[in-house]
Amino acid sequence: MDATAQGVSALELSEVSVPGRLHKVSLTLAPGTLVGLVGPNGAGKSTLLQIAAGLLPGHGTVSWAGRPLASMPMLDRGRAAAWVPQEAQFEFGFSVRSVVAQGRYAHGDDAQKVEETLATMGLLRLADRPVNRLSGGERHRVLLARALATEAPLQLWDEPLAALDVRHVLEVLALARRLAGTGRTLLMSLHDLRVAHSLDTVVVLHEGRLRAVGPPTEILTPALLLEVFGVQAEIAPGLTVRLS
Amino acid sequence: MLVGLMIGSLGVGDLTLGPARILAGLLHHDALAATVLWDIRVPRLLVAMFVGAALAASGLVMQAYFRNSLASPGLLGVSSGGAAGAVIAIGAGWVSHSLLVLPGAAIVGALVATVAVLILARRGASTERLLLAGVALNAVLAAVTSYVLSNFTLTYERNAQILFWLLGGLEDRTWEHVAISLPVIGAAAALLPLRRPMDLLSLGALEAQSLGVDVRRLRHWLLALATVLTALATAVAGTVGFVGLIVPHVLRLLVGPEHQRLVPLSLVGGAAFVVGCDLLGRMAGGIRVGIVTSIVGGPFFLWMLRRKA
Repeated sequence: MDATAQGVSALELSEVSVPGRLHKVSLTLAPGTLVGLVGPNGAGKSTLLQIAAGLLPGHGTVSWAGRPLASMPMLDRGRAAAWVPQEAQFEFGFSVRSVVAQGRYAHGDDAQKVEETLATMGLLRLADRPVNRLSGGERHRVLLARALATEAPLQLWDEPLAALDVRHVLEVLALARRLAGTGRTLLMSLHDLRVAHSLDTVVVLHEGRLRAVGPPTEILTPALLLEVFGVQAEIAPGLTVRLS
Repeated sequence: MLVGLMIGSLGVGDLTLGPARILAGLLHHDALAATVLWDIRVPRLLVAMFVGAALAASGLVMQAYFRNSLASPGLLGVSSGGAAGAVIAIGAGWVSHSLLVLPGAAIVGALVATVAVLILARRGASTERLLLAGVALNAVLAAVTSYVLSNFTLTYERNAQILFWLLGGLEDRTWEHVAISLPVIGAAAALLPLRRPMDLLSLGALEAQSLGVDVRRLRHWLLALATVLTALATAVAGTVGFVGLIVPHVLRLLVGPEHQRLVPLSLVGGAAFVVGCDLLGRMAGGIRVGIVTSIVGGPFFLWMLRRKA
């Protein structure tokens, strides 16, 4: 993606606040990074993602690839960033293919791109099924596919892994890694600290404030985890799974 | 199907006309048939079509807006709002001033009801909340209408008119009513370019916005169009219930939820449904169309509710 030219940040939040939920969060993410957003329940992860996606009013400024969001036309926004909600509820029975095709709204329809995305997400088998008849994990994969279909350089995913089985978690992480390799920037909220530990960067939120940002090996220290989550952490061998 | 119902609607009545005589009447080759058709049945048919198209499209829009397939002008109280506005205008005697007063009052009434629903039930509200808001609003508006009925000094004629609006009917519709309902065409045309964004909105407002839809603008348009469509229908035929619920729902089962097809089909299907219900009522000895749609719609609604639960 040309928009993620070197030297320009993919996402920049400057003193972003939402009364009662986020307090003066400033954050800059470089293009081509895979970023985990962690924090206890109610820390403000979803709020941060929504304001970064331009979906919530708040104080402060948000910029994508150096462009202030406030001055961007809606269609440009649809092409520049994709957001995946935490909830995957559908009232109407649109087919999986039709929902994924919605990702092309800001571009104009592109049937081939939709088919490619369905294949990438392993959804071809479900393509004609109504989304409101799918399982929770399947519905989340449809939302991820719709976000991918936008080809947006900035991807903001709210707990994309929470509803997935272990194989799909690994597949989505592998996909996220490939996307980062092509210059996309991914910010995803997570609860699994072991997954967060494997990413390029972690952002730690605590009570609406930014607690720490940086490489996980430096940031996710036992002291910080105890302070933020109230848990004892240790690096120990245990059950490990990988894609076969 | 619509064409068949249209022919039936023109043929059935005190004077039964076959297709050949309908044609002769329409072309003024048959004086008696021409009078019956051009003075009574054609305006009635046109009003029925406009009312059906408007209510079905309005229901479809509300369903996308509220992301709930049970949203519709009747259940949410928007029709009652339009009727209350119309009844107040008639009761106060404003209607004689201009042809525009009645639809204007209906639009104001429907708008007040729409705003009230928005306050009572936020977007994406649960079915229970949405329906309860509608119940409350329908009750309040019925009280307003009853107040007008019981407290204004009314002539017998005015009372009859008010009853007409409350029960919903197509009796004695004239070319004047056709003229009042003509803007339905404009409102329906304005819906056509909104079909694709309606798809996105119906799966979530934030999602739609993140994909590039100007959700604020879209919502304002949809709300305005749904309100105007309901108000126009109510202004010429009173409260005809369940059209906006049944027609989009049946069509969704038949062709899927994409608005690309759902919008035009709802317009045609709504017209066919109301013309058909009117025909049925006339063949059954003069049952008003609002009563027929409610007899069909009530059980249908309960079936939908059961399916959803």
